[in-house]
Amino acid sequence: MSYIDVVEKIDVPKPPKYYTEPRFEEVMGLPVAYRREGSGEATVLFHGAGFTRMWIPFYAMLAEKLDFITPESPGFGETPMPAWVRSFDDLTILYDQLFDQLGIEKIHLIGFSMGGWAASEFAAYYPRRLKSLSLITPVGLRVDDDPGVDIFQLTPADLMDRLFKDKEVMTQWLPDDDDFDEGIHMYSEFSAAARLMWAPRYNLALERRLQRLTCPTQVIGAEEDRLVPNAMSDKFAAVLPNCKLTRLAGTGHEPLLERPRELADTLIAFIKEASK
Amino acid sequence: MNKLRFYIFNLMPYPHIPPAAEIESTWVSLSNKHYDPHRGRVLYNEYIDQLAGAETFGYDGVAVNEHHANFYGTMPSPNIIAAMLVQRTEHIPIGVIGNAIPLHGNPLRVAEEIAMLDVISGGRIISGFVRGIGCEYFNNGVTPADSVERFNEAHDLIIKAWTDDGPFTWQGDHFYIPNVNPIPRPIQDPHPPIWIPGQGSLETLQFIAKHKYTYMMVFAPLWFTKMAFDGLREECKRLGYDAPKSMFNACVPTYVAETDEQAHREAKAHLSWVFNTGLKIPDQFFFPPGYMSTKSFRNFVGLLKQGKVKPQADLTYDELVADRYIIVGSPETVKNELGNYCDEVGAGGIIGGGAPFGPMPNWMAMKNMQIFAEEVIPEFREADGLPDYQRVAANSPRSYAELAALKGRPPETARSLVTGGGDTLVEHRLSHLPEVIDSTMGSEDDVRPASAG
Repeated sequence: MSYIDVVEKIDVPKPPKYYTEPRFEEVMGLPVAYRREGSGEATVLFHGAGFTRMWIPFYAMLAEKLDFITPESPGFGETPMPAWVRSFDDLTILYDQLFDQLGIEKIHLIGFSMGGWAASEFAAYYPRRLKSLSLITPVGLRVDDDPGVDIFQLTPADLMDRLFKDKEVMTQWLPDDDDFDEGIHMYSEFSAAARLMWAPRYNLALERRLQRLTCPTQVIGAEEDRLVPNAMSDKFAAVLPNCKLTRLAGTGHEPLLERPRELADTLIAFIKEASK
Repeated sequence: MNKLRFYIFNLMPYPHIPPAAEIESTWVSLSNKHYDPHRGRVLYNEYIDQLAGAETFGYDGVAVNEHHANFYGTMPSPNIIAAMLVQRTEHIPIGVIGNAIPLHGNPLRVAEEIAMLDVISGGRIISGFVRGIGCEYFNNGVTPADSVERFNEAHDLIIKAWTDDGPFTWQGDHFYIPNVNPIPRPIQDPHPPIWIPGQGSLETLQFIAKHKYTYMMVFAPLWFTKMAFDGLREECKRLGYDAPKSMFNACVPTYVAETDEQAHREAKAHLSWVFNTGLKIPDQFFFPPGYMSTKSFRNFVGLLKQGKVKPQADLTYDELVADRYIIVGSPETVKNELGNYCDEVGAGGIIGGGAPFGPMPNWMAMKNMQIFAEEVIPEFREADGLPDYQRVAANSPRSYAELAALKGRPPETARSLVTGGGDTLVEHRLSHLPEVIDSTMGSEDDVRPASAG
């Protein structure tokens, strides 16, 4: 195991809707896939465990007002999983190096779900890189007495059901059960998630480490999250200094897909304010 | 050498649970509130009696294995049952097939326990290693994504701990142990035989071929077992040797009774339970993410999609019989079927022939064991009817006299300096003799009262 192992690019299935070719930046021997559009404040989003490889409408809305960059985490989308990625620490170092190579110094950081954990770790190690931190239905803290459901025990159908409050939106994003390659790819992405999050499902140190942040912070929770308890957002909001907590009406765990316009407006307004 | 070896195996199910149609799974999600320890006590003791009985019936070995958080096999610690069998039997080999070595914090625990069993049993232990099935990662803090790496490293550590003189330091990717020095060491030299149960993945076959271990195919249709065995033979050939038949064990639940009809009548419900209820495991429990490499997962799901393999919970009894997952019939039928089976796949051993399965009552399990022992096993034995292990010398002296004759006194017999004895080492063997110990006793004034009051 070494940071100089060179990892080959991989073939992955292309989702039928919203797929765009990513760009690649080789970081520490790893070809990191990322998408970048727009101009303005440099804003980075760390994705959750799923719905990769797509330029979803929500991303396009952010790119209208911002220099919007979203990398694909190792093992997700078209970024391969190298043997040396074992923890969120490895992602933190990888992203710090990626931003250096892309010539981005300070960023507004957004983390969604699993990406909220990754963003929290990054923020704790590199607080001076951040102009603001926004977490959307994040995970990564311990909510006493409410561990939530075990995402790794859910059937794909149960997972979809729990992700969305808005079932009309859900039907637009249901995977095609007959798409063999996509099914295999989802197993592969969840394998990467299992490497990072199987046990424990939290980092207790974050509660202390996040207290050093001085940039503006916000947490955007769901109206009714049936995958991760709403108490998780409450806890993040309590731990983060000077944090603003919003709950988006009509959303479950997936506000990016359920209420993209409202979510994008909330983020853009917050980033504008934080940039003053 | 006999044509076939027969190992009695008991998963030790706890069958008093709701029927399959009413539960999601027998694993992971079925609450342990269904487990009544008082009934469990009766079952455990019946199962142990059955296994211990295998020696008198004349089988070639007994086998136990490790499973967690389920009702299909209630042996989370197989070494505990093996310890009881060591005490309940005298000569028969005992297989722990196997310990789930990636699941545990310190693999040395397994090295120590197997060595203890091997020493106490006089070198009768077969040591199997498994990854644990996918379900078992849910009741564990080990990510399934590390399962293969941890298996490989735990294996290397255990073998080195058994074969190299300690102490040494283990600096692994997953385990760091500053001082590896397990005591006791096993009797069998260089270590107990290693069996690897598996489902036929290429990675497993290559691992077995490389180490020349014994393979044990888990429940499968004949064609699948044959494919795996052929694959292993090929891997061995690639490494420059012909795999002996003794490397191949097939797991085939076999039930025998007076007639074919009677055998099916007796076995049907119980053997079906093993597959349809005991192994009712939905995909999300069976394949937690990372448990299989994406490549292996693709191959396996491909077979499922093509309809080449069926989830075991969906197999009908007729399919179990037709695909030869199981063999059921009169002694004549079973002899023929077993003979053909082993010729077709090239097996040297059968696990589960004549063995108890599912909710089968104790009397029926014993009936099967006895008829199998008397009417099937001799067909596959030499004229003397002996199991192979009785044709070779025991791995360890069986009596004090034999030990003394063969080994004499220990090279470092216990000696120590005793207060008052000057710098002469006292040999403990003789330390109670007056000429050895009296000079160390001191004057009466120095002797404290026996009780301080």
